[in-house]
Amino acid sequence: MYKFLAVVRHEYKKVVLKWSFVIGTLLLPFLAACFAIVPMIIFSFKGEPTRIAVADPTGKLLPRIEQNLSADRLTEKAQKAARDSMVKLDATQEEKMRNNAAMFMKDFALLKVPQSESVSADLRANLLNRILAGEIDAFLIIPENFGSADARFEYRSRKGADFISNDTFKDAVNDAVRSQRLADANISEEKLSELSSAVNFDAKGIDEAGEDRDNEGIWVASFAIGLMIYLTLAIYGQAIMGAVVEEKETRIAEILFSSARPFELMLGKLVGVGLAGLTQLSIWVGSAAVLLGFLALQADLQPILASVPVITPLMIGSFLIFFQIGFFLYASIFALIGSMVTSVQEGGQFAFLPVMIMLGAFYFCFAVIRDPNSSLSFWVTIAPFLAPITMPVRILAETPPLWQILLSIVVNAAAIAGLVWITARVYRVGMLMYGKRATIPEVWKWIRQA
Amino acid sequence: MTSENVRTMADAVGSDVTLRVSNITKRFGEFTAVKDLSFEVCAGRVFGFLGPNGAGKTTTIRMIVGITAPDEGSIELFGEHMSHTLQNRIGYLPEERGLYKKMKVIDQLRYFSELKGVPRNQADKKIDFWLERMELSEWKKKKTSDLSKGMQQKIQFVSTVLHDPDLLILDEPFSGLDPVNVEFMIEVLSEFRTHEKTVIFSTHLMETAERLCHDILLINKAEKVFGGSLRHVKESYGKNLISLRGENFGSVLEDRSLISKAESHADEIEVHLKDGTDPQQLLVKLLEGGARIDKFERVEPSLNDIFIEKVTNV
Repeated sequence: MYKFLAVVRHEYKKVVLKWSFVIGTLLLPFLAACFAIVPMIIFSFKGEPTRIAVADPTGKLLPRIEQNLSADRLTEKAQKAARDSMVKLDATQEEKMRNNAAMFMKDFALLKVPQSESVSADLRANLLNRILAGEIDAFLIIPENFGSADARFEYRSRKGADFISNDTFKDAVNDAVRSQRLADANISEEKLSELSSAVNFDAKGIDEAGEDRDNEGIWVASFAIGLMIYLTLAIYGQAIMGAVVEEKETRIAEILFSSARPFELMLGKLVGVGLAGLTQLSIWVGSAAVLLGFLALQADLQPILASVPVITPLMIGSFLIFFQIGFFLYASIFALIGSMVTSVQEGGQFAFLPVMIMLGAFYFCFAVIRDPNSSLSFWVTIAPFLAPITMPVRILAETPPLWQILLSIVVNAAAIAGLVWITARVYRVGMLMYGKRATIPEVWKWIRQA
Repeated sequence: MTSENVRTMADAVGSDVTLRVSNITKRFGEFTAVKDLSFEVCAGRVFGFLGPNGAGKTTTIRMIVGITAPDEGSIELFGEHMSHTLQNRIGYLPEERGLYKKMKVIDQLRYFSELKGVPRNQADKKIDFWLERMELSEWKKKKTSDLSKGMQQKIQFVSTVLHDPDLLILDEPFSGLDPVNVEFMIEVLSEFRTHEKTVIFSTHLMETAERLCHDILLINKAEKVFGGSLRHVKESYGKNLISLRGENFGSVLEDRSLISKAESHADEIEVHLKDGTDPQQLLVKLLEGGARIDKFERVEPSLNDIFIEKVTNV
């Protein structure tokens, strides 16, 4: 036991004290934080209010525009944008930026141009001069025939590139014109909203207890979880293979085998590297929790948080359990490959096999997310090698009955036992074979004989 | 302390058997690597395990240290059957050996001693002692990849003796060392040796074996060729070789009733006596024939000669 623990400690330290681990561990939460927080911070720097002189000869539109630019209205719009950004995954980058930005409304100061000044070249020149003199930032000249289709709204701004302000203002003007047209047609605002209200399409998933739950965001979160497990397994599997090949290449194996049982050495390696992976995942999960907590404190961001799926301790627990199961399954395969080959490069040629299985499991996640209760979802979340990646996704999408989770754990634990047994046999012979790669018949013989 | 001192000191020690190998055989498929091999190694002695490449030395050593098990026969160590707990009493330096390249010297040594069951605080003291002895103290916190090959070999040696093993098995310990370091290592090895400790080392450097070993075992093509104490081996092969220098030997050297062969070297003649011939007879005949003799010496064959003769004859 003392030796086993020594191996565990050795392998753990070897991974954790590497720069790549430290950087990888810190970089991911940092990047995530950057993507989540930095744009918000940047966009939340509210500049000076944009001063816009509005020449409104009829005097009908300006009050409506002012109303549309009021704080309440803008908040409402921002919340809608936030929800859209969570749901619309296919939105372009520009759209996303707009949506992000829309959450932080801009201040506007509207200056009324005296009615007496008629629409003329004089007026335009006068307003231009005021922009050049820095008194105002932009001006809008509303035509008298604003209701007709060919009416031309003239907007000039020295902040032409500030698309957020421009868009927001444009929307406000648009809305104002539209409601004025309606009013002219003797349709009241109330009547309009009554007539044009969308049907109340109440699309919500229900959880196993039959209670409503919010679907928005589950897709994203499931995808993220599947990807995270897949990546971590691939990275740590390769780490195991590297460690095994190193000991074989440098012939340290012979010293190790003269000191401890091969089984102890191999299992210690798996556990040590597995704990290192768990450490990294815990740091990530922990920092995600802190990040969410931080976001929760920002009142502005409530609309985003509303879409984050509810994470229960069961989910976190099973996430970590299935990560460990997956780790032991795939790491054994990588260790097996490592003890068969003579160099890391040669191992890389074989590594595609477990990576393909992982990738397959990752693709099955999409089927599971779409229909967590189908029989396909059932089988791929029970099957060894697939379950470690698909089951956490399924639990998040819609928690299956406990017996299915337990069955999946038992099936996969049995697979681990068998695989570790086989790997230990190949390991003890293969590690002392120098110079040539083992063939499959040879490996088969070792498994039967050893 | 010189190697000669060590040998004399150990010669006086009793002959408790540290290792008893009985009729072991190891096959890899069709190939027999070791065939029906038996020998004993006594406590407090330096045992030289000799043989050409591919003779089965490494396979035998791997069985002794418990890395593999013999297909037939048995191995007894310290009076017990080989087991994993006994591994803690062996220090093994394999021929093909390595270190973790990116690890600090101190961390590797700690790990290797932990694998031999030595607690951390004891290990640290031993590590300091041995690094000091190897004149490598300032490299303690350095990575292996920063060390020269010779330094790495010294570190590897340290890793085999940290847990104070009762049996030290060194497979080609001096290969790749420069002559100065070979001398240094021989000296260190001598210090390590005490009454109860036993050293087995395999080599094909016969000169080194001759200097260090009390007992030898020569194997070739998986089988034992001969074994026993060095003195005994040499005596049994050294009876009939005379080194001769002088003049006026006349026709005595052509007398085939006494001499089987006479070879002229630079300024000496190497005379092979017939089996059962007393060298004195030759000396008397030479003097009677009026020869003038500057040198008449019974030559012990070098281990190298015996080795070559045996290996090529088999």
